[in-house]
Amino acid sequence: MPKISTGKNPSGSIELKNVTKTFKIGSSGPKTYSTLKSTLIGLIKKGTVAPKVVSKENIRQKLILNDISFKVEPGTSYALVGRNGSGKSTILKLISGIYAPDSGQITVEGSVSALIELGAGFHPDFSGRENIMLGGIMFGLTKKQVEDRFDQIVEYSELEDVIDQPVRTYSSGMYMRLGFSLAIHTDPDILLVDEVLAVGDAHFIKKCHDSISEFRRRGKTLIFVTHDLSSVSRWCDKAVWLDKGHIRSIGTPKEIADAYLSDIADQENLTNKENIAKQELTRDQRSIIGNGNLDKKHRWGDNKIEITKVQLLDQTKEEKAVFFDNESLIIKVSFKFHTEVSDLVFGIGIIRADGLEIFGTNSSFIPEIDSAISNNIVSKNIEDLNKVRLIEIKIPRISLSEGSYFVDVAAHAHSGLPYDYHHQIYKFQVRTKDRSVGIISPNIEWNISNLNSGEQN
Amino acid sequence: MFRILKELWKFRSLVSALVIRHLRARYRGSVLGFLWSFLNPLCLILVYALVFKYYIRFQEVENYTVFMLSGLLPWIWFSSGILDATSSISSGGSLITKAIFPPHVLPTVAVLTNMANFLLSLPLLVSLMIFYNIHLSIYILYIPVLLLIQIFFMLGLSFIFSSLNVYVRDIQHIMSNIFSLLFFLCPIVYPADKVPAQFSFTLSLNPISRLIINYQKVIINGVSPDFKDLLILASISFVTFGIGCLVFNKFRDQFAESI
Repeated sequence: MPKISTGKNPSGSIELKNVTKTFKIGSSGPKTYSTLKSTLIGLIKKGTVAPKVVSKENIRQKLILNDISFKVEPGTSYALVGRNGSGKSTILKLISGIYAPDSGQITVEGSVSALIELGAGFHPDFSGRENIMLGGIMFGLTKKQVEDRFDQIVEYSELEDVIDQPVRTYSSGMYMRLGFSLAIHTDPDILLVDEVLAVGDAHFIKKCHDSISEFRRRGKTLIFVTHDLSSVSRWCDKAVWLDKGHIRSIGTPKEIADAYLSDIADQENLTNKENIAKQELTRDQRSIIGNGNLDKKHRWGDNKIEITKVQLLDQTKEEKAVFFDNESLIIKVSFKFHTEVSDLVFGIGIIRADGLEIFGTNSSFIPEIDSAISNNIVSKNIEDLNKVRLIEIKIPRISLSEGSYFVDVAAHAHSGLPYDYHHQIYKFQVRTKDRSVGIISPNIEWNISNLNSGEQN
Repeated sequence: MFRILKELWKFRSLVSALVIRHLRARYRGSVLGFLWSFLNPLCLILVYALVFKYYIRFQEVENYTVFMLSGLLPWIWFSSGILDATSSISSGGSLITKAIFPPHVLPTVAVLTNMANFLLSLPLLVSLMIFYNIHLSIYILYIPVLLLIQIFFMLGLSFIFSSLNVYVRDIQHIMSNIFSLLFFLCPIVYPADKVPAQFSFTLSLNPISRLIINYQKVIINGVSPDFKDLLILASISFVTFGIGCLVFNKFRDQFAESI
């Protein structure tokens, strides 16, 4: 194994110093190996026919990890978080010695077990029993040690009924239970786990959680790759956030989870803005083509008033598609008159992506607003028909739980007759920073000042 | 080289468990099971005997069938062992790419599994010898020496070919062609002394045919092996093993990302 053990660090510690790793482009695909034919053809082409053929020195290198340094003390557990392709699994493979770094130094002290992929190293045609024997030996136990622990391993994995059946008949959850049970019972100094626990059921995950806590109590080290940010704070002391092969930051699970979530939200906002622009276009086209004969599913009305644009803004007036539950939502509606209208009400509604109506309201419910709209907008400025007018509706705190929602916007008469009704066109997402459940996410306060006051009944 | 030997020793129980697993996998699900260890060479020998003994009337060799078997069995070990080993790393799959696993175990297991098969088929040879009333001589005790020479020679070649085959997959196909030609260049279906003098270099330059000649000497001819041969063969296998380890160590770090 290409790891350098200096012996100066305590057992269970891991240190990465300026580790860099590149892959040749396409080196994970099935075409990485050259065949003699392609080599020969390459030679011939290079020699005579086409001197421009890519030579070996020109093969492009893809930087997977760039100058990664961090140190893990024995008995701590680290989570690696980051988007797909950020290099999390590569770090696990470097620590376990499956890959060798291009440059930099990796120091690993003590025995290492790795659960990098479900059933990696299991032989599908052999029974669970045989695979435990082989797997245990592979993890560095002697035959005797595996035999001694065999019953425990089977009992823990709860696979007593199927232990003599070939593992190819196992479900992915059973694979995971066997793999995890084996790994935890080989009692390594360092355990590397790559996302495989995700396939376990709640009961077994609880069991894993207990074993991992126990494992940590005994001063063993855990490195853990995950996308499930809630597990980061439950299982880990520290988190490393990787972004495109760099360490973005290292900190407590809470800090990293917050920073990571809001970064994802920013990213989504960026991509969603492009989508919004596209949506806008199609909607405009629709209204031009439709000309009063609008798409009945998402838009209807007699078009006396046209809602030309709807924007979803936060408290800083920035257009967004992903909001946190404690942010404000401002619905900015642009509209214009096509004919004279003296009877106008604006309505909005929030609908969850599965169709649940969260709430709906309109301007006629508030007398001051209702009369202001009638007096100011409708009567006075009516001579300038094509002028674009604006109205903003602000929800000071969104207070919705995590999910996708639509905003419905409508301009209609007091009778309910619609001029322009936009149904489930404008989409936004809500993120919450905690894991509370339900439909709403109100701002709640806990009062703990009287916990010990001992007030008598 | 010592690093690889040390690691192989450290993982000896893994190697032996895998050899047993492979042996069992080979015959798992077949009705005759381990009998195939005898049946495979027996079928071959029946055809060869038919062709060379009765069609071509190659009658000058005493106990031709037994003679042929004594060369054929080490040859089968050699050729199928190297062939299995050559593709062992490139077809190692998740063991190489996703698990903490010493890669040199795989070619070693291929060599040793085929050796186990060789040993398991020896009873066939012995029973044929009893049938033809040929006595085993004391020189049969040299067989472990020959085994040891062959193991290290094969390990060396296996390390070279298995690591190169990760990068150039043609090697496994080239090897199988070379072996089917090499078979006839080895004194298996004909005795070495039938080779005309001007062609005798085909035998002397070929370590595996020298090895086979010595198997034949101790098993069927009942004479002492050629000690000069043994010494040369031992040095060749030692050097091959050393080169194999060097090549393997040079490439092993890249296996996981190249498969």
